[in-house]
Amino acid sequence: MTPFRKAYPIRCLRSAATVAAVVLLAVAAMHVLAVSAHAQGSPFGAGPRPSAPPMGGMVGWILERQAYYYAQFNATIKAAKADGSAVWTLLVLSFFYGIFHAAGPGHGKAVISSYLVANNETWRRGVVLSFASALVQAVTAIAVVGVAAVLLGATAKAMGDTVRWIEVASYLLIIALGARLLWTKGRGFFAALGAQPFTPALVPAEVAAGGGHAIAGDRHQHDHAHHDRAHEGHALAVSEAHGRSHAHHDQAHHHHHHVHDENCGCAHGPDPEILAGRGGWRRGLSAVIGVGLRPCSGAILVLVFAMAQGLFWAGVVSTLVMGLGTAITVTAIATLAVSAKDVAARLAATRSGGGALVMRGLEVAAAALVLCFGVLLLLGYVSTERLIM
Amino acid sequence: MRRFSLLISAVIGFLAAGAGIASAHPHVWVSVKSELVYAPDGTLTAIKHHWTFDEMFSTFATQGLDANNDGKLSREELQSLAEVNVTSLKEFGYFTHVKADGKRVPIIDPKDYWLDFQNGSLTLNFTLPLKEPAAGKVFAVEVYDATYFVDFTLAKDNPVTLASAPAACKLNTFAPGETKPTSAQPLDESFFNSLGPGANFGAQFANKILVNCP
Repeated sequence: MTPFRKAYPIRCLRSAATVAAVVLLAVAAMHVLAVSAHAQGSPFGAGPRPSAPPMGGMVGWILERQAYYYAQFNATIKAAKADGSAVWTLLVLSFFYGIFHAAGPGHGKAVISSYLVANNETWRRGVVLSFASALVQAVTAIAVVGVAAVLLGATAKAMGDTVRWIEVASYLLIIALGARLLWTKGRGFFAALGAQPFTPALVPAEVAAGGGHAIAGDRHQHDHAHHDRAHEGHALAVSEAHGRSHAHHDQAHHHHHHVHDENCGCAHGPDPEILAGRGGWRRGLSAVIGVGLRPCSGAILVLVFAMAQGLFWAGVVSTLVMGLGTAITVTAIATLAVSAKDVAARLAATRSGGGALVMRGLEVAAAALVLCFGVLLLLGYVSTERLIM
Repeated sequence: MRRFSLLISAVIGFLAAGAGIASAHPHVWVSVKSELVYAPDGTLTAIKHHWTFDEMFSTFATQGLDANNDGKLSREELQSLAEVNVTSLKEFGYFTHVKADGKRVPIIDPKDYWLDFQNGSLTLNFTLPLKEPAAGKVFAVEVYDATYFVDFTLAKDNPVTLASAPAACKLNTFAPGETKPTSAQPLDESFFNSLGPGANFGAQFANKILVNCP
């Protein structure tokens, strides 16, 4: 009943608007940044394709380190041919290259982080997803070179074409994942919006929050039985029916999630296992494959070169160690994303219903980002290093 | 609430930034040797490039091209790759920028292109004819990739030669970022003035070839 309380929903709307604005800006920025790189093939028709110009500052430094380690591969692999101990140097280089390569700009960690935020994943899952996607990425590179070059004696052009198809598949997977998330989270968002009291200035906050049930119930008379049962279950704070309703009925799930926050003051929402949904792991798997399927062109060059020196196994180990380095960086970034979201959720939990609405909005925005990444990658607007011939 | 909005903005901005900016670090190293070809009347007619690639890229690009499995890569076996190379380079303007007295000189599609494979490295040889033979006192040829995806470096010894140039012409080469010539031949003030105000003298990664024919 304080003035702050009264003013709150307006501020809340402002936050939602901020989120929307930032998303638009981000998409616009990606667009602008990508234009310079768009439609450029590989300069020699063989090998990785070029991208944006180098930058100063932090990003410049990351790129410089990456270039430094990459430049050493050539000499180190040749040295390993004569002196086996140079393989250790190769592995150290690979590890740091992996760390810096993933720290440099790239779509992989962006998709993973957005996915974690959108799907409200736990940190533990974030770690697992990061490592899994890095492993998939390393294995794809090894498989492409192993099958195409070692077994079939394919040309660089054939390998480039193969990678191209793999890329298209991975981008389609990211689009499907983003669309799926957007559908689920979008419905949740509008459900939360529907439950939001629109005349807060006239209704005391406590009543508005407590009356959420009644308002929601009135507006959604078509909702079926277990929705109502979930309401009761919810009133009891813990119940099997509550959990089941989350799994069954996204709309109901979000009502309850939102009301739940207010009534029992939990940090955020019910058990994360339930929140992630039953399709959680399956969806997680599509994120892992969508991101990991596209092999890193640096790894492919190293593998082919190692193979030509008769050291294919060293290339394989190097690629796996690169993956380990990549996983560590992606984990760090995913941790940042998940922590930021957790802090946001905790802040939201201390507010009335609007806070939950912003959280739903955040999830929707993150889901939209996943979809955007997929579409832009597929259209070639976000350039990636790739091996086109 | 303000803090909350800021935080959310930061998260989303952060996520978006990751995908937009593409990574750039050299994946391909090229050692450049070039020949400037003059007509008897003193006009510049073509640039002949001999670009040698690093071993890792050379190995990758030639993977599976040894058709007769004799362990060697003949010019014939490499011709399809040379074709792909020059076709792809078109989009990048062959990374070659030619100016006569500070004015841009257009180049046309290359002719006489082939690849050699020696000591583990590929060399791409190709001739870039100028659209029209160019007259001028100062010719500037720059070879660089602004995206720094390809690292071009002038070869150590005699990177540039002049073919049939008038005897009075002076040649200077500059490594990327250098304003002092790598090869020391005196340059007077008028030389730099004649480059014109729009001269892109500072292109960060440019290898510059300057020829002064009074």
